[in-house]
Amino acid sequence: MSRISLAFSSFFGILFGGELPAAVASAYGYVRKDAAKPAPPPPAQPVAKPTDGALQLLGILQRDARLVDFLMEDISGYEDDQVGAAVRTMHEQCRTALARYVKLGPVIDGVEGTSAKASAAGNAAAVKFIGNVPAGPPPKEGMLRHRGWKAEKVDLPAVAGKQDLSIIAPAEIEIE
Amino acid sequence: MPGNLVIGIDLGTTNCAVAWADASHAGDPAAPSPVEPFAIAQLVNPGEVREEPLLPSSLYLPDSKDFPEGTTALPWDAAPSAVTGTLALKRGVERPGRLVTSAKSWLSHGAVDRSSAILPLNAMEGTPKVSPVEASRRYLEHIRRAWDSRFPDQPFREQQILVTVPASFDAVARELTQRAAEEAGYANITLLEEPQAAFYAWLQAHEDWRQRVKPGDLILVMDIGGGTTDFTLIAVSERDGELTLERVAVGDHILLGGDNIDLALARHVEQQLAARTKLDAMQFHALWQQCRIAKEKLLEEGNKDKDHAVTLLGRGTGLIGGTIRAKLAREDVERILLEGFLPKTTSHEMPQRARRAGLQEVGLPYAADAAITRQLARFLRQQAAEAEHGAVKRTPSGLAAPTHVLFNGGVLRAGLIRQRLMDVLNGWLGEEGAAAADVLPGEDLMQAVARGAAYYGLARRGRGVRIRGGVPRTYYVGIETAMPAIPGMRPPMKALTVVPFGMEEGTAHEFPDREFGLYIGEPAEFRFLCSSVRKNDEAGVLLEEWKPEDLEELAPVEVTLSGGEGQIVRVSLESKVTETGVLELWCVARDGRRWKLEFNVRERVA
Repeated sequence: MSRISLAFSSFFGILFGGELPAAVASAYGYVRKDAAKPAPPPPAQPVAKPTDGALQLLGILQRDARLVDFLMEDISGYEDDQVGAAVRTMHEQCRTALARYVKLGPVIDGVEGTSAKASAAGNAAAVKFIGNVPAGPPPKEGMLRHRGWKAEKVDLPAVAGKQDLSIIAPAEIEIE
Repeated sequence: MPGNLVIGIDLGTTNCAVAWADASHAGDPAAPSPVEPFAIAQLVNPGEVREEPLLPSSLYLPDSKDFPEGTTALPWDAAPSAVTGTLALKRGVERPGRLVTSAKSWLSHGAVDRSSAILPLNAMEGTPKVSPVEASRRYLEHIRRAWDSRFPDQPFREQQILVTVPASFDAVARELTQRAAEEAGYANITLLEEPQAAFYAWLQAHEDWRQRVKPGDLILVMDIGGGTTDFTLIAVSERDGELTLERVAVGDHILLGGDNIDLALARHVEQQLAARTKLDAMQFHALWQQCRIAKEKLLEEGNKDKDHAVTLLGRGTGLIGGTIRAKLAREDVERILLEGFLPKTTSHEMPQRARRAGLQEVGLPYAADAAITRQLARFLRQQAAEAEHGAVKRTPSGLAAPTHVLFNGGVLRAGLIRQRLMDVLNGWLGEEGAAAADVLPGEDLMQAVARGAAYYGLARRGRGVRIRGGVPRTYYVGIETAMPAIPGMRPPMKALTVVPFGMEEGTAHEFPDREFGLYIGEPAEFRFLCSSVRKNDEAGVLLEEWKPEDLEELAPVEVTLSGGEGQIVRVSLESKVTETGVLELWCVARDGRRWKLEFNVRERVA
């Protein structure tokens, strides 16, 4: 390497790269003291936003069962059998999609309309007492009116880094 | 060190399945080990990988904007160049010009160059294409990598791999399958015929099989899958006090299956709708799928509904407003099935001249040759009845008379179809005083082939019973007779039997009396023929005349001799069936030099 090119490459190497180019270093017999290089920072984990799961599930129910199309459509003008025909298909698809990603179970596994033990009583979010509820500690049992629903397991696919979850369904353009 | 596992792969026309077993399983060394299904990880939606029991044999060739970035990543490949499996099928419906399906049917299609990039057939100008061999390679490679990702401690390449092919695949199609597997990184491959695999699955599921069949029995395996129908006969005999099984006849590759039935139903519904609305291609595809679901529901055990609704939701955001409704009536399903595909025919009615049904995935006119019952009659009367090989029970008129029937393939899940096939078959047998055939209770009609293949892998290691089979056809090399040329006439050809029917794996035949002078350095080509009906031609027999329909010409075989350009070497032929079931032809010089003949699949077979 000529002196001029060595001079330039050192200059620009330090200016833009922050260090002496290896070629220059070896030409002048400099030995690089390898400072303990900090480990490269782990690739930034995409931060999950609170809305992600909701948008993802909405996207899935639209993709597999067209739920958003249905809810956003004004159906007041259609006959019941027209609505019914579409809903039967959709219902099946929604159910399959939901079952695949969310495992649902009852809060109280009993028969509605019969007496049941209020097992999770005390957790107002899980068991809601209605009717003539006495003052004091929550009752031990009562008539089961609704079994409740509980998501026992949610198994949504991981979101790829650049996926834009605010797009619930892409627009479709057909080339004829 | 080779691994201890055997992995069975059902490389299907529409779906692939995988099963495996551990050959070193502890316990009684004679008892077969359990066979486990392997769920295949694949993309089911963009960005979603899931393990599914089947891998659809579909390949989608995306462009850079097809899927959001990063959403086609697989656990073993961050950016695959093509998508395989469920997602490929889903996206391919929307963009059919980039979807490859039925690659396997193309592998056995002699009229096209199977190693050139021809699929998808309807690809647009400038979009990528792959060859049938390449598509098969991709499915096989996907399976290998899914396996390695799931079982990193049991590398796929170290295990013994069984890949199934239709019994009707000819030597060329088998070799192409083998090549696809090798290119997919498979090391220890053995090919196995699908109906045999299905029967192995039955054997594996019924430990008491020796009580269920007896010497002299003849088992008909009927395999009706999504795209193809195959028939095979297996004879039970006794040797040294042990029951042995021998595959005695194999039918032609019939490109007719469940897809044709669903398509026929969809066309029927489309006609009903024609007065009101015209369907576009995607709606028709949706209708096709809906008809398949409706058919399966109506034919389910115990279903008594008169019809099943077929609903096509509106295309745009107007879901209810655009919904198209129709009904598929049970009456119509039964009529189309029973009269179109399974008519009650006599055992003398042959299918209208085997129009090699081409590859009519879409638009098959189901009238011409769709009668599975006539295909069956042809098999039992022509292909099977001439089998002198083994003990084949026959009726007085020469119809092969099976004593048992084993069903395989998704179509046969429908009781109505099974019943009809048995009624027709037993009608034929009864007319001629033969006893009615019994159904061997099957099991999983979708996974049986993969399971049976794994079981066969165990059997090869001496842990289970083996079906003796050998080559299911007779093969000939054409020898043109020396005579003055006449314009417009090919010189008459004689056919030298090089591979007799039933030639077993690991054996070879030599023909030292018949020598050819070949120029070194110049390609020499031989015509290559096969027959599924002539079963008694011994190795070395020279045919001077034959019925044109008995012999079928395959892709030619060619060889270029190396070493010492320009000289003439006298060589004779040698045929060999490898331990893995692949047929090879060799040229052998007197001094012992050998050259392998290769199939020339580039040439168009007239």
